[in-house]
Amino acid sequence: MGMIYLDNGATSFQKPREVEMAMHWALSHCASVGRGGYRQAENAAKIVYACRELAGELFDALPEQVVFTMNCTHGLNIAIRSLVRPGDRVAVSGFEHNAVMRPLYALGARPVIFGRKLFDWENTLQELEKALQSGVKAAVFTQVSNVFGYVLPVEQMGALCRRYRVPFIVDAAQGAGSCRVSLKEWGADFVAMPGHKGLLGPQGTGILLCAGNAEPLLYGGTGSHSEEHAMPGELPDRLEAGTLNVTGIAGLLEGLRYLKRNGAENIGSREKELAAVLSRGMAQLDYQVFSGEHQSGTVSMGGNEDCELLAERLGAMGVAVRAGLHCAPLAHDSAGTLKTGTVRFSTGPFTTRRDVERTLEILGKIRVS
Amino acid sequence: MNGYLFTFRSITPAQRGEAVLRRRGVDAALRRTPRSIADKGCGYALRVSTLQLNRAVSALREQNVPFQRVYLQTGEQLEEVWV
Repeated sequence: MGMIYLDNGATSFQKPREVEMAMHWALSHCASVGRGGYRQAENAAKIVYACRELAGELFDALPEQVVFTMNCTHGLNIAIRSLVRPGDRVAVSGFEHNAVMRPLYALGARPVIFGRKLFDWENTLQELEKALQSGVKAAVFTQVSNVFGYVLPVEQMGALCRRYRVPFIVDAAQGAGSCRVSLKEWGADFVAMPGHKGLLGPQGTGILLCAGNAEPLLYGGTGSHSEEHAMPGELPDRLEAGTLNVTGIAGLLEGLRYLKRNGAENIGSREKELAAVLSRGMAQLDYQVFSGEHQSGTVSMGGNEDCELLAERLGAMGVAVRAGLHCAPLAHDSAGTLKTGTVRFSTGPFTTRRDVERTLEILGKIRVS
Repeated sequence: MNGYLFTFRSITPAQRGEAVLRRRGVDAALRRTPRSIADKGCGYALRVSTLQLNRAVSALREQNVPFQRVYLQTGEQLEEVWV
């Protein structure tokens, strides 16, 4: 029996077949974008633009507002450095990843943490409003908690930020590909997402949607304005110094095409149903399960056993999961699991009902052993 | 063969222009901007036929695609035109 892959929160290991094929094709047919007018450069340019255009269509942005990054963290660093200055007070949800917290701390910003109750939209919105009223300079929040699968009310949170005229950044690392993402409707200044999770592209890819003024993190050649000492003012060139990962973007394009064919929200609903089956089954086995109304296809559980040892046993029995703090100590602190950590099960588009049932059988065997 | 060149500051707006024109039934060929007219270094341009100039200008303006200048290309000669 093959491995049961339930670590889609880390990366979508299982990809549509077309992703690998496109990457193979790109390796032998694509040169560098914006550096030449011959066929291989044109091939690369076409793939990169097609990916920008499709991402713009899926996430309500213009193609120029789609900036390719190496991962979500890269995009968040650009966004945070564009909006936040040393000493600024910045509102952050109680479920942020280190990809948000570490750049803020590195800048010398002062995080104002709001909404620490899991699966509680009222608490999230009330606490955000208090933070906004206290005079923060910016807000950064995740769309979905990477640890607990808590789906935050991002649309309403964006509306609040706009009402208080506070610029904001959305970390869509766990939402893109399974929830609706809209730069335009949210009115966000930036939305960052990885290419290799819900978007089903390869690792080394990411997207930053930019509506606000952006500051480059990297400086260098862009294939444009070459006589100028400064980086170009317009997007995406302003944020894309150096040669793009065309092979990765070719794979990402196929991942996005898969999403367009199948519908991100359909995929998300299915994942959510599978996670609910897992939650119920774990609860019946007397594990401590973190579940609630506003939950994605990710579920975390605790128990008496050390979470790392339990994940190791699951791994040895063919179930791939992630244990520990998931690079999100703040989220664990909010949920009261900072000391113990949790074992996270994150479903994906290729997770089957049988995978979930088999996982519960294995958890049952572990429980009695 | 004569034609018009729309210049752009970089490849992405030129590609968006190409997509907009294609949807409007205007054939546009993406190419590198000739060095003699490239503003501040490298750039990209779209070449359209003389018959499609007006259609191309309105389509690009309607969709807010930021082109820089327009040149009449006659053989290797390039002359800026005001549209």
